[in-house]
Amino acid sequence: MPVVSLHPDILRNMVGIDVSDETLKQDLFNLGLEFDGEDEDGNFQLEFAPDRLDRLSVEGVARSLRYHYGKERGVFIPPLNPPTWSICIQHPISHNRPYVTGAIARGIKLDDSILKSLIQLQEKLHDTIGRNRAKGSIGIHDLSMIKSTETPDGMSSIYYKGTPPSEPSFVPLGLQEELTPMQVLESHPTGKKYKQLVEEDRQYPAFFDELGLFSFPPVINGARTEVTVDTRDLFIEMTGSDQWTIDKMLNIICYALDSHGATLESINISSPDASIQKPDFSSDTKHIDHSRVEQILGISLTSNDILDSIERSGLDATLLTPPYQQDDSLEKSQYKVTIPPYRVDVLHPIDIIDDIGRAYGFYKLQPRYPDVATIGGRTPNSNLERAIRQALIGTGFEDLLNFNLINEDENFSKMRLKDGKEEAYGNYEPVTILEPYSAEYTIIRTWVLPSLLMVLENNTHRAYPQNLMEIGFIAHTDHTQDNRIKEKNAIAATIAHSQASYEEAKSKLQVICQRFNKKIETLPISHPTFIEGRAASIIIDGKSKGILGEIHPEVLILHGIEVPVSAFELSLDSFI
Amino acid sequence: MSIKLPKNQKKVLEAASSTKQKTFDQISSATKLKPEYVSGASYSLEERGLISITTDSHDELLLTDEGHHYSKNSLPEMRLYEAVQRLGDLETEFDLSQAFDQSNLDKNEINVALSNFVRKNYGTIDQGKIVASRDIDIQLDPEQAALDSISQNLKVEDSITKRLESRGLVKVNQSTVRSIILTKEGMAVLQKGVKVSQSVTNLTPQMLSKGNWEHIEYTAYNVEAETAPYIGGRVHILRDTAEKVKDTLVSMGFQEMEGPHADSEFWINDCLFMPQDHPARTHWDQFALSVPPAQNLPSDLIKKVQKAHIDGVGPDGDGYHSPWSENVALGVDLRGHTTSLSMRYLSGQSIGTIEPPQRFFSVEKVYRNDTLDPTHLLEFFQIEGWVMAENLSVRDLMGTFTEFYRRFGITNLKFKPHYNPYTEPSFEIFGEHPRTGALIEIGNSGLFREEVLHPLGVSCDVMAWGLALERLLMLMYGFEDIRDVHGTLCDLQLLRSTEVPY
Repeated sequence: MPVVSLHPDILRNMVGIDVSDETLKQDLFNLGLEFDGEDEDGNFQLEFAPDRLDRLSVEGVARSLRYHYGKERGVFIPPLNPPTWSICIQHPISHNRPYVTGAIARGIKLDDSILKSLIQLQEKLHDTIGRNRAKGSIGIHDLSMIKSTETPDGMSSIYYKGTPPSEPSFVPLGLQEELTPMQVLESHPTGKKYKQLVEEDRQYPAFFDELGLFSFPPVINGARTEVTVDTRDLFIEMTGSDQWTIDKMLNIICYALDSHGATLESINISSPDASIQKPDFSSDTKHIDHSRVEQILGISLTSNDILDSIERSGLDATLLTPPYQQDDSLEKSQYKVTIPPYRVDVLHPIDIIDDIGRAYGFYKLQPRYPDVATIGGRTPNSNLERAIRQALIGTGFEDLLNFNLINEDENFSKMRLKDGKEEAYGNYEPVTILEPYSAEYTIIRTWVLPSLLMVLENNTHRAYPQNLMEIGFIAHTDHTQDNRIKEKNAIAATIAHSQASYEEAKSKLQVICQRFNKKIETLPISHPTFIEGRAASIIIDGKSKGILGEIHPEVLILHGIEVPVSAFELSLDSFI
Repeated sequence: MSIKLPKNQKKVLEAASSTKQKTFDQISSATKLKPEYVSGASYSLEERGLISITTDSHDELLLTDEGHHYSKNSLPEMRLYEAVQRLGDLETEFDLSQAFDQSNLDKNEINVALSNFVRKNYGTIDQGKIVASRDIDIQLDPEQAALDSISQNLKVEDSITKRLESRGLVKVNQSTVRSIILTKEGMAVLQKGVKVSQSVTNLTPQMLSKGNWEHIEYTAYNVEAETAPYIGGRVHILRDTAEKVKDTLVSMGFQEMEGPHADSEFWINDCLFMPQDHPARTHWDQFALSVPPAQNLPSDLIKKVQKAHIDGVGPDGDGYHSPWSENVALGVDLRGHTTSLSMRYLSGQSIGTIEPPQRFFSVEKVYRNDTLDPTHLLEFFQIEGWVMAENLSVRDLMGTFTEFYRRFGITNLKFKPHYNPYTEPSFEIFGEHPRTGALIEIGNSGLFREEVLHPLGVSCDVMAWGLALERLLMLMYGFEDIRDVHGTLCDLQLLRSTEVPY
């Protein structure tokens, strides 16, 4: 989950209210921001779920708190001056980043902490809604360093267009030397990180002014337009694969800049066929039913309760009462709710009801046990599994719980099986993980006994007898299944001590079968895991259901086990 | 008054001396008792306080076969040096092969000779050439001298013994000699005279059938003595916890669900209204499997889910601004949560259409592609539960979970507003640790969104929650490293000694 780092003093200052750290933490918790410690500079680390992206920096958190404390109410739309600048889209254009948006912010007074906060906001927007810059990326520049072209419409214009990888050269942020876009991807650390986002494009995306390339999205800005604490006017550009996404990212940035006193100015985005203005601060509306709010919160509310909570969520609402409603009942009433342009998380009226709950205080609601009668029960498989486990434990087995993931070496080689080649119990085509995190866990186990042998291997220093059992999940590839995989549960047991024998294993298996009224036959069979002449196929109801025998000495040596081991495994469905 | 002792104990007591330690072997030959009987009787006598036993252990050095061989024929490196001497002058380069021919060393000895020749600065060996140094007198080799001393049972310096041990030429045998001496009480007893008791150790079937059990005296046991540990069967602690959770939920009216571990992304993610470009849907977070796309999915349901993603649900609903493709939905993964089962049940695909009210649960394995550490496993059990009814409120949700956690001793729940793509409102559940009292996260919950329920054909409310079983186990029983319990690295001793919870 994202963590936003902010100093409580700056927050208090921006909220304009003096509350203790403890109250602040509690109020933030109830808004959904969990205090997760402080760094050495006293910054709160606040963890929160990535829905309210407007809270990714101190500016947005402060705005939420101002609403929460009632210092601000309703939808706020920052003033926007008419455009004097244009971004002209010119062909050829980057295939992966065809969309562009932007804004200008003038007269901002930056200091180190504001600059840091803006960089944090920018990076966190990249990581979340920007999908690591693939869907949207942000460039912020010092406007005074951009040399525009005067176009016939009277606008100061710059250009967004595709550029061949090998030209032109520019000085990337943080470097002294000139590099081509291609060289940036090859040698610059940021270039390497985002290489895969542009390398397939024949035309790399770039912004140009009179002096040449000044931004290479989504990779890096040019050094020339770098923003410092002395910068007063900002030029903000965003590119990406989805217009809505970059427009919303721009809105969140613009609101943060507005809260630091910047004057926002529109930008013309002009292409050969059209010209539009950004940012887009139009707001959305949704309708919620009074009765649904009451029902979700489980309490009665007046229209004022609801309107107050809506306004303290930074939304606006008007009550719509149907004309035929005569009494004071609000049962059929609705609220028409206006949603400000920085919100990205409101997809449905329920999201507004959630806002109302947070503003009202979910913590004020009393839990109640629902008046709903149902009958509980377990599945037949679950009951069977438990009964068999208890029967096995009664014969002296220690119950175990192992991982369903394993690797080929443990599942096959160390059991003397050649994966999927010859026909033998356990020797099935395994289900493989496409991109395993660890070489230890690469397939789903095709049988349970390898796991038990691993436990024996890891516990040779513990007292014997080690009579182990597991009822566990196994699977192998089967293309006739809907999910292409045959999934099963199997019962496995190992007997390990100095006198362990085939007979002991068989006697325990027999008593279990007897208790579940199953007759078993044990027919001689060859199986590489077991000693030749001491292995049997377990036959139940005329079908081969598993394997029984004394483990081959080579398998024991491969596991570093120094006592004889006898074992059996059969599928759980044998007992149905 | 004289005392009665079993026959063997009487013999041993009488053979012991009050002034001189006698070894078990000496007692054995004096009494004609087998050594094991002497030992058994002696310990019984010691328990009665009649004798005391002294244990004396010391290390004994023995030559190995290889050590014997070199003791007779001298060390290989010395023989190599002598071979070079035979070839000509010291400080002169000779071919190694020549030196080997001259030396009569066998293949194994050659390797030993080469490494030790250099180690002992007998000379240099470089690129097939050997030079014997004149600064060394091999006749004074301390290791050879030590070998000879050991063969004659003479003392040797520890440092050299260690070196010879590491060369595998000697081994250290620990030998233990036990001896006994009479205590004052023992002498007093002997002076008063000792009679043989007619006691028996084991009650036999014959004694019972013949009836002579009545006249027999039974040897008293040391009833305080420790016994050998017993290893019996027991249920695994995590399984036991799972069973308790199941019992609890069944008692609260929940029915159990079951279904596939490997499932299409459709059931795992798409039905849950997780956008296809959601960060948690990358291969780094979930296990994609190398099998062909899933088949036989209900095509009308796929269309409804796709529409919810793109257009949203309801007159005011909005969809995501994310790409959606059926190919992605059909990819087969190991489930990252058992909410895939909830989707199957709610859709009617598992047990047919269900009508409210319903309660369902599962306690089943889920899989996350993550690093393994003391609190995170690649696979763990998820407790999943949901309630389906008309007009549910968040108060019902809070009440249900308060009751569930109360049964496990976790109280004072706090509900932190949270965000999940598939529920709204959503809450992270925090509770007081049953022992430390600290506020800890214990689950995630919420009411399923209409974008989830509507495509599945559900028109009432469904509230759901999830929690890792391992987390509950660690909270309740205080395990610190979950790998000691769950998985093949488990420690049998820990599992055997865990307190039985109830």
